[in-house]
Amino acid sequence: MKSRRLALRTLAVTGTTAFLVSCATNAPQDTWQPKGPNAKMIDDLQQPVFAVAGIIGIIVAAAVGFAIWRYKDRGQPIPEQTHGKPALEITLTVIPALILAVVGVFTFRVIFDLARTDDTQLVINVTGQQWWWEYDYPVQNEWGITQPIISSGQLVMPVGTKVLLRETSRDVIHSYWIPALNGKRDAVPGRVHTLRLEADAPGIYAGQCTEFCGLSHANMRMEAVALSDEDFAKWVAGQQAGYRAPAEGTLAKEGESVFLNQCVRCHQVEGLKRADGTLAIAAPDENVWSGAAPNLTKLMSRNTFAGAMFDLLRDACRDSVWRADSAEFGAKYLAGVDETCLNVNDLRAWLRNAPEVKPMYANPALLADTNGKYRGMPNLGLSESDIDKLVAYLLTLK
Amino acid sequence: MFKVGSKLFLGLSGFASFNLVAYIIFVERLAIGGVALSMVLAALVGLTAIVLLINEGDSESQPRDNALTGASLWPLMTVVGLMLLVLGLVVAQIYFVLGIVVVLAALAEWLVQAWSESASDDPAHNESARQRLLHPIEFPVIATLGLGVVIFSFSRIMLAISKSAGAVVFIVAATLVLLAGSWFALRPALKGALVSAICVVGAVGIVAGGIAGAGVGLRTDLAEAAEEGHYLHRECGVEKSKYFDKKAMKTLSLRSNVTAIIELRNGELSAVMVGFNEPQQRVTASRANPVTFIFRNFDAAERRMVASLGSAMAAGMAAPEDEGHAEKNETCTQLIPQGAEQALTVKYDKPSVAQDAPLTLTVPGVAGQAIEVLVP
Repeated sequence: MKSRRLALRTLAVTGTTAFLVSCATNAPQDTWQPKGPNAKMIDDLQQPVFAVAGIIGIIVAAAVGFAIWRYKDRGQPIPEQTHGKPALEITLTVIPALILAVVGVFTFRVIFDLARTDDTQLVINVTGQQWWWEYDYPVQNEWGITQPIISSGQLVMPVGTKVLLRETSRDVIHSYWIPALNGKRDAVPGRVHTLRLEADAPGIYAGQCTEFCGLSHANMRMEAVALSDEDFAKWVAGQQAGYRAPAEGTLAKEGESVFLNQCVRCHQVEGLKRADGTLAIAAPDENVWSGAAPNLTKLMSRNTFAGAMFDLLRDACRDSVWRADSAEFGAKYLAGVDETCLNVNDLRAWLRNAPEVKPMYANPALLADTNGKYRGMPNLGLSESDIDKLVAYLLTLK
Repeated sequence: MFKVGSKLFLGLSGFASFNLVAYIIFVERLAIGGVALSMVLAALVGLTAIVLLINEGDSESQPRDNALTGASLWPLMTVVGLMLLVLGLVVAQIYFVLGIVVVLAALAEWLVQAWSESASDDPAHNESARQRLLHPIEFPVIATLGLGVVIFSFSRIMLAISKSAGAVVFIVAATLVLLAGSWFALRPALKGALVSAICVVGAVGIVAGGIAGAGVGLRTDLAEAAEEGHYLHRECGVEKSKYFDKKAMKTLSLRSNVTAIIELRNGELSAVMVGFNEPQQRVTASRANPVTFIFRNFDAAERRMVASLGSAMAAGMAAPEDEGHAEKNETCTQLIPQGAEQALTVKYDKPSVAQDAPLTLTVPGVAGQAIEVLVP
């Protein structure tokens, strides 16, 4: 009676858990919904393998459970002990070996297909560091990229194109994973690893670092943005457009001065000049442990900041982009962020005290191992007035 | 209901619960350590449940003959290992790793000895069982350690004496080994004790020589080379370097997954990169991150590849031993013959826009050829 009650309870708990798990409607990192040929290749492999493994797992678990329940010690005499049944043992060895061999053949085929690089149409360099991803687009004239483009947080790629990521890392091992587009690939310092991505339709595909990399590992996110060829060409042109300084006498112009005094120590804005007319060159190598900080040249053309942890768009604007249909998506994404859509609360909180909203090793007392260099963005002690100016300036970086 | 196994697991579960509570109260509630301790507790509770559910598998308690249990060195060795482990936490990682190895080895020996002592009522059989299990591991490990000590000692001797004396010592030592081996082979009737004694005397002699050699230190030219950093102070011209670091030709780990392979073929330079179907004339390298290039020389003359580091000096190049090429803002491979290749790791701390001149990869003696490196 007791065991039956226990079994019923176990069944109820398992069933409820399975039901609740299946109720998730907003699951952008669902591995079961591939949106590109590479992810579909993996899905086509794992579905039958999962089914076979599941059936075998249930059979084994049921057999073990039955043996535990049926033959538990109730004080009965120990039965006669026998040793060895060659026919049974050989059968139980050969059958799994055959199953594994069949699975192995298909698995190796998929592995080799996913490792192909000879059909690449667009190359993007991806560099991981604590706790954000940098994307740089090498010169590729066929895509209109005549000078390297550098960005962060969101990887922008053309739809239906075989994109090859060349991944590396500046500090520790990270792992790049956009579940809807392909499997994981480690980004290892000193090495260049490749990962194929291809998206079937325009849209945003979410991902997350999947190799534990320190304090804010869980906040090291990424988004792949797929655009039509025409929209991608517009994005490339926009990224390569020159710097437009804010008009004199505006709040944004004052923000540019604050940026030059504070932020340019780590963050590069291409084309930004100092008062004496010289180019402002950031020096993250002198201030940050990884040696780099996000390039903010076209910040407001992106939808995220702080390692894609926060949205630059308010919820309504963000939903409008994420839920746009294929025909409208490109235009909405390329519109970028304006004053009405800016998620000003999160941006201000970040500027006010970054380590408070994203855990980072920014306490100077704990920086002995890094020769005083920060891991992540420190609290700059900006006044509310400076923050107003900076927000106005950042809005012009588009 | 509660027997030895269940008591053990219940105790461990209680201990883990105590640790978890103490950690949460005294350290940090949401730290990764708390999650790890929770997992340990969950695993122990699961094991306890299984042990209780199956009634520990066998209710028959086996009487134990304490007279069969002999003295054992392994508890002492385990404690020594634990001490090393704790010492390593404070002093140096090497002691920590050594402690783990000693603890694991001592525990394994201890467990097997404890098992073998209760395998039967016959001590001789029990000892035989232990030997059958452990000798295949013990002998190779002891032999490896012994050989390691002898080889290390011999290397200290060779590094301490002059090059010419080293050749003589090597020839004499090899001849002695050959003669002794031949003698042992031709006289199989020789007493084992005599053979062992000769081997031990030889080994002790080498170890003593090694200790003396370590005391003397590196011979003069090696000490000077290490002090002056010859292998770091690179001469990047057409001329051959005085010092040649052959190890640089053998860095196998650097030859896979590199940023680009720079090939010199028929007097022309090109960059081969994964993902690009055609050879390139421009390479994009990420800023403030070591990037590795492989230089392959397919031309007849010996060539080297030179990487210009630009006017904005890379921070890593400012070390005192690098003063020579810091002045030139460049680094390079060594001269390599036709068909050879060499890796070169470079770090560009400043972007291309910060430089007065383009960052390039060139080959001295090959005019008009350069791969431009773009650092965004």
